[in-house]
Amino acid sequence: MRLSPLLALPVLLFLALALGYPLARVLLLGLGEGLGETLRNPYYWGRLGWSLEYGMASSLLTTLLALPLAYAFRYRFPGREALLSLSTVPFVLPTIVVALGFLALAGPRGLLGLNLQGTPWILLWAAVFYNLGLVLRLLVVLLPGLETPLAAARTLGASPWRAYLRVGIPLLAPGLLAGGGLTFLYTFSSFGLPLVLGGQRYATLEVEIYNLLSYRLAFPEATALALAQLTVSAGVTLLYLWAQARLALSLQPEAGPRPLPRPKAWALALALWLGFALLYAPLLALLLKALQSPSAFTTVWNSDDFTPAGEALWNTLRFAGLTLLLALPIGFLYAYAVWRGEGPHPRRLGPRWLDLTGMLPLLVSPVLVGLGYLLTYPQLSGSLLLLIAAYALLSYPLLSRALLPALRAMPKSALEAARTLGASPWRRLWRVEWPLLQPTLRSGAALTLAAVIGEFGATLILRRPEWTTLSLAIYERLGRPGATPFAEALALSVVLGLLAGGVFYLLDRGRGTVG
Amino acid sequence: MFKKLLLATLTLLGLAQAQQLTILSHESFNLDKKLVAEFEQKNGIKLRFLKAGDAGEMLNKAILSKAAPVADVIYGFDNSQLSLALEADILQPYASPVLPALRPEFVLDRSYRALPVDYGYVALNYDKAYFKDKPLPQSFAELAKPEFAKLLVVTNPATSSPGLAFLLATVKTFGEDGYLDFWASLRDGGVRVEKGWSEAYYTAFSKSGGDRPLVVSYATSPAAELFYSEKKLDEPPTGNLLLPGSSFLQVEFVGILKGTKQPAAARKFVDWLLSRPVQESIPTEMWIYPTRKDAKLPEVFKWAEVPKAPATLEPRSIAQNRERWVSEWTKVVLQGQSPEAVKKGRK
Repeated sequence: MRLSPLLALPVLLFLALALGYPLARVLLLGLGEGLGETLRNPYYWGRLGWSLEYGMASSLLTTLLALPLAYAFRYRFPGREALLSLSTVPFVLPTIVVALGFLALAGPRGLLGLNLQGTPWILLWAAVFYNLGLVLRLLVVLLPGLETPLAAARTLGASPWRAYLRVGIPLLAPGLLAGGGLTFLYTFSSFGLPLVLGGQRYATLEVEIYNLLSYRLAFPEATALALAQLTVSAGVTLLYLWAQARLALSLQPEAGPRPLPRPKAWALALALWLGFALLYAPLLALLLKALQSPSAFTTVWNSDDFTPAGEALWNTLRFAGLTLLLALPIGFLYAYAVWRGEGPHPRRLGPRWLDLTGMLPLLVSPVLVGLGYLLTYPQLSGSLLLLIAAYALLSYPLLSRALLPALRAMPKSALEAARTLGASPWRRLWRVEWPLLQPTLRSGAALTLAAVIGEFGATLILRRPEWTTLSLAIYERLGRPGATPFAEALALSVVLGLLAGGVFYLLDRGRGTVG
Repeated sequence: MFKKLLLATLTLLGLAQAQQLTILSHESFNLDKKLVAEFEQKNGIKLRFLKAGDAGEMLNKAILSKAAPVADVIYGFDNSQLSLALEADILQPYASPVLPALRPEFVLDRSYRALPVDYGYVALNYDKAYFKDKPLPQSFAELAKPEFAKLLVVTNPATSSPGLAFLLATVKTFGEDGYLDFWASLRDGGVRVEKGWSEAYYTAFSKSGGDRPLVVSYATSPAAELFYSEKKLDEPPTGNLLLPGSSFLQVEFVGILKGTKQPAAARKFVDWLLSRPVQESIPTEMWIYPTRKDAKLPEVFKWAEVPKAPATLEPRSIAQNRERWVSEWTKVVLQGQSPEAVKKGRK
């Protein structure tokens, strides 16, 4: 009996209700009255232009920094592994926490004494902060695969540079494209950082969509801009998938870093540690700045004007738990269905198509999802179901992405043995596959949880006062009179950062299988 | 079935609501805590105040969540947003017995869905220390000169109610065509635009450590400065710059949201908000004037000047044009288009 269509059914149903239908509603509205009006307005072209520039500049800068770094990581030096796992930190840190870190360092009341808020530089720095680890890890596993082809070119008489230009770069290109493409996607449609750090001049499309909606209720224009953003994202995603399929270098299990003479190793270590310290300075600044006003850690629990910390914390934990109840089965079923479909006799409309469909949520922006829900399910606007569905939709692909490689790597022999011994598919799932998947499931769940705990965009759009999470509790304290709200926002950011990071590392056991 | 199960789980997780009355308001809302506690005890109603950003943001929140209201009562939308609230059909009528005690000129909604609680004047404030030996602008039109434009911080009318009031004052004073030219010169002169009143007054205004000695605020702000100053002062550190036509009357309303489960409690709250003790306490809580005829003003209000000729616009004219004015303002000031192009775009 084939399980895959049966397994995929609930996932597809969820996708249709939670993504397909709302998205279609948004697009229809955007294509309708809003599009012409919006296309005639040069200002929106400027917004699109800036978002594109920001995405491209970020991906170029990140890739250019990651390439030499990846080469440095081919050598053994003190603290190498620690740095590699440190480079995954930004993945699990909530956007708003990072934004506050940058404010603590280079905002109007920042430690640097230099106010970069509302400049493009702080946004670029934030983009590199977020994406450098992603590209770096991709390149670190790719580089060892270059050795053999380069050596072959050298043997055939090419000079080192010529070998690198004619053999190395073409082989690396798809990897660089994939890393750069992902960075572009993340920054082009980023929301939290530009909202807090960009000011009115450097707002991305995503921020503009949010402003149009929450201040002017301009649904037509907001949806037209959402349509433009979706078109660009879809194009870049296709490019990314194409690049990924062309990764000529097989991802090698690391041959282990090469030894270096001791003084050189220490020099390299020092340089890299300094570089990372600079990159992560905002996080240090956040801690320092928060500790400068320790009273905020106590006042934040019972503030009159803002959501008290306890309520926000409870909401955050509750929503994360509820989301996991929905995202775990969906993510698991979906990965399992794709994997089953890849079996010995793949279907024509097979796993490839299913694979792409299930990854769609990574494409759409949280703000867009929230907007779609408000348009499609207004009568549910007071129901938690809406928020949890949005969370599950945005986070289950993270789980599936972690699970799929693990499923594919399961020892065939064990499965065959179980089948030969007459175990039914369900029994096999329960007694063989499930236990084998435990560790991966845990890290996938960790990623999902971290993403939900820090979610900001969809939460802000669907916001109801009684649903205030830690992210929103931080945001509502920004730009308020006096020093206390800002100090409280910093304190809450420390709490939220530790919560997201802590949950992740506890579940993941520090294995850092991200990216 | 799934939904039922989920609901059961939610109830278990402590989502069951206690009996309470929720009031949606803007961030500047404040009431005397003693009076609130008194009201709660007397009526056995727990009051919960939700502050949802600026008045505009708050009203949009109420409109967006119309199908599942976030509160029972909404307070703080003003006369420039009144039409929006009435058109969106989010309020239910309540002809309170207190109505005759209010100043009739402020009862702008004859369907009694929105009742006036207080009024004030949006006005320009200046930092006295900065202008000690520098000249102030002598007329509203002079404000757009580069030397003054670069000293001024205003708020975005799309996101802030004083910002909208100030925009309306410019429309009233300079007319349909003139106001865009006025704003274009302000833009070219380097006016700073902030999202909301708190950002403008507490971060950009030089009195609070910013770089702008001119700010769009309220005619009562200098009195508030004196009232809250840490040192004993003889006079406020800021002053009102009451250039003819530059101030705008703002009336704030309360309304009972459609779909409330507790209409009786909501009505009690509205009556209480319009009762004399509360009306006499709000001037120093929120720095506005009470709408009740018999409410006495506190001593410190002698520093709060009433502009001689505040600009006003017919609610109907505001209703018909507000959206267009705001979007034209956005095109000229934020999007950098020329006033001519924007005027041409009018059909």
